[in-house]
Amino acid sequence: MVDNIGGSSSNDNGDFVIKEQDRLLPIANVGRIMKHILPQNAKISKESKETMQECVSEFISFVTSEASEKCRKERRKTVNGDDICWALATLGFDDYAEPMRRYLHRYRELEVDKINSNNQEIRGGNGPHA
Amino acid sequence: MVVVMAEEEEKTLSIEPEFPRSRVKKIMTLDEDVKRVSSEALFLVSRSTELFLHLLAEKSAQVAIEKKRKTVKLEHIRIAVKRHRPISDFLLDSLPMPSETVKSDKPVQDADRPKSVPDGTRRIDHIFRKSEAQAQVEAQEPEPEPMEES
Repeated sequence: MVDNIGGSSSNDNGDFVIKEQDRLLPIANVGRIMKHILPQNAKISKESKETMQECVSEFISFVTSEASEKCRKERRKTVNGDDICWALATLGFDDYAEPMRRYLHRYRELEVDKINSNNQEIRGGNGPHA
Repeated sequence: MVVVMAEEEEKTLSIEPEFPRSRVKKIMTLDEDVKRVSSEALFLVSRSTELFLHLLAEKSAQVAIEKKRKTVKLEHIRIAVKRHRPISDFLLDSLPMPSETVKSDKPVQDADRPKSVPDGTRRIDHIFRKSEAQAQVEAQEPEPEPMEES
């Protein structure tokens, strides 16, 4: 059969028009990450990589869905970082929630740095405290 | 294990995830109820997905090693999923029983989920059914069960 798992909409669901490639992470990325994790001499079958693609998309969907439900209940429109941390904990990935909070913290730090250095440039190198 | 991984990453922590942002976002917004997603949220989903992939890949590799195989195959992933509770909670119901081929018509459970994902949830089942048929055709290693080609 063809290599790709159905790039068109001809699936069981007639109206499932989203292309498979659009709802899956690129197999190259998935494969690369897997290779890093696996022992040197290990191989990965193609269907394993494809299955992993599906699994990670499912993961994304479930986490997002939980987070989004929380937002809906709280009448917020935007899913934020804390919602994701909460969703991870709720779905049983407590182990992830803590590292994610650290990432979030670091991300915010880096974003603030970026904003600050942008501000510096705009003002021609003179910071607000100059 | 996850914590160790995260700590190692934290030392060289860049905010450049492995997965393309636009694709992660696209997958997130497949759900009609998801309207807006902050860039923080996108970042964290991307990162946690990497960790998830690490975890599942590692567990699958362990199964392959147990079975004295060098190639990680579908059934190794399946077993790995079964063994890990949070993962099996959201993935296992989608997987057919190991010796079944195309039997499972049951769509991915809606009943158990507080919030189900949209139509495409059948896809795990779909990929396992199709892939299992393919895998049996392509299997290099001797399998005890008879090979059926549809």
